[in-house]
Amino acid sequence: MQELVLVQPGRTVGDELEPDAAQAETRREFEERLSECGPLAYRVARGVLRHTADAEDVAQEALLRAYRRFDRLRDRNRFRAWLVRIAFRLALDRLRSGKRREQRDTLWSQPEHQPRTATAEDIAASNEFQENLDDALAELPEKLRLVLLLAAMEGHTIEEIASMMGISTGTVKSRIFYARRQLAEKLRCHANIIKTR
Amino acid sequence: MPCKHYKDALIEAAAGGAEPQDELHAHLAVCTDCRAAFKQEQSLFASIDTGLHVTANAEVPASLFPHVRARLDEESLPRRIWVTNWLVLASAAVMVVAFFAARAVWRPNAVNQPVVTAVTAPPQNQGSVAEPIIEKEVVPKHELVIANNHPVRETLVKGKSKPEVLVPRDQEILLAEYAEHWSLHRRPQLLAHEFDSTILPPLQVVPIQIAELDVKLLAEEKLR
Repeated sequence: MQELVLVQPGRTVGDELEPDAAQAETRREFEERLSECGPLAYRVARGVLRHTADAEDVAQEALLRAYRRFDRLRDRNRFRAWLVRIAFRLALDRLRSGKRREQRDTLWSQPEHQPRTATAEDIAASNEFQENLDDALAELPEKLRLVLLLAAMEGHTIEEIASMMGISTGTVKSRIFYARRQLAEKLRCHANIIKTR
Repeated sequence: MPCKHYKDALIEAAAGGAEPQDELHAHLAVCTDCRAAFKQEQSLFASIDTGLHVTANAEVPASLFPHVRARLDEESLPRRIWVTNWLVLASAAVMVVAFFAARAVWRPNAVNQPVVTAVTAPPQNQGSVAEPIIEKEVVPKHELVIANNHPVRETLVKGKSKPEVLVPRDQEILLAEYAEHWSLHRRPQLLAHEFDSTILPPLQVVPIQIAELDVKLLAEEKLR
């Protein structure tokens, strides 16, 4: 069946379809990156928030924001770094607002602390060391934390992290080193491993 | 417990993941406590790396992509409506600006060209008036103000065309007579006694009715 298109006099079919075609092209380009970078956004958010549902919300929001501004991104090779920053920033904002809300709830309405419902993932990672590690990770400075998370993610080399963050490989290495040392110090307090004589 | 002198070196070696070198290597060979502490440090950093790997490589929920795609679809639709709305608003704004710009350009010319308004008097009064069609030029109020203070006044009424004036129905005859006098270069006053009393009957005012007052002096009141 032949498709009919309603066109105003004086305008061509090409004029009518141009915005749609451009939008479809943007969408296609974005979809290409979505399958690769979607997990990255989620994991960055998960590393900060330590909560599956919150991390998914933040990842969705980050991807949506990236899509809205996708046309403005001149160098599409920088998309991963750009998305990581958006996701990380949004996750930090969510974490801070969650802390404020938690404080409010504790002060005003909650006589007893209500533990949140544990997910399967939470149960799987519910050993004491993992909890202490996540706590220690949350206390790290933002710069160190993001680099450490990216380094711990599968498939990221030091060079890629340096490219994503816009810093040198030496800076990446030193941040990883200091981040691990700070984590070890915090966790050593719990473990009481080393006591000097 | 490890020796204080080697504590930092132990930690750095364990954090770096490399085998201890030189002096530390030699010390570990002879000091069992430092060797045990070094093993514990290595174990600690290995646990940290494993825990980080678990945290950083959490399984992505299956609902993430469908939700994102649904929101992208929602995003595409309102965007077009939004763009259309902006186009309409922008067009309206341009039209308003163009209107005011045209008005600003047109206004200075209008001062030099008085506006002429034309209306013909009703035909039923033609018999009583010599010329039912009144000729006069009318200038807008703000232009008349200028005319009162400047010689421009002389140029306002020239009578080169046949203008007509809108008047209330009950003032047609009066204005016609005034126009006739005007055409004879007389300027009579518009007085009420010249007006036909049959058109407007005189106002009837009923006298005020006041009842008789009982006036008494205060002194008389006191005496009673």
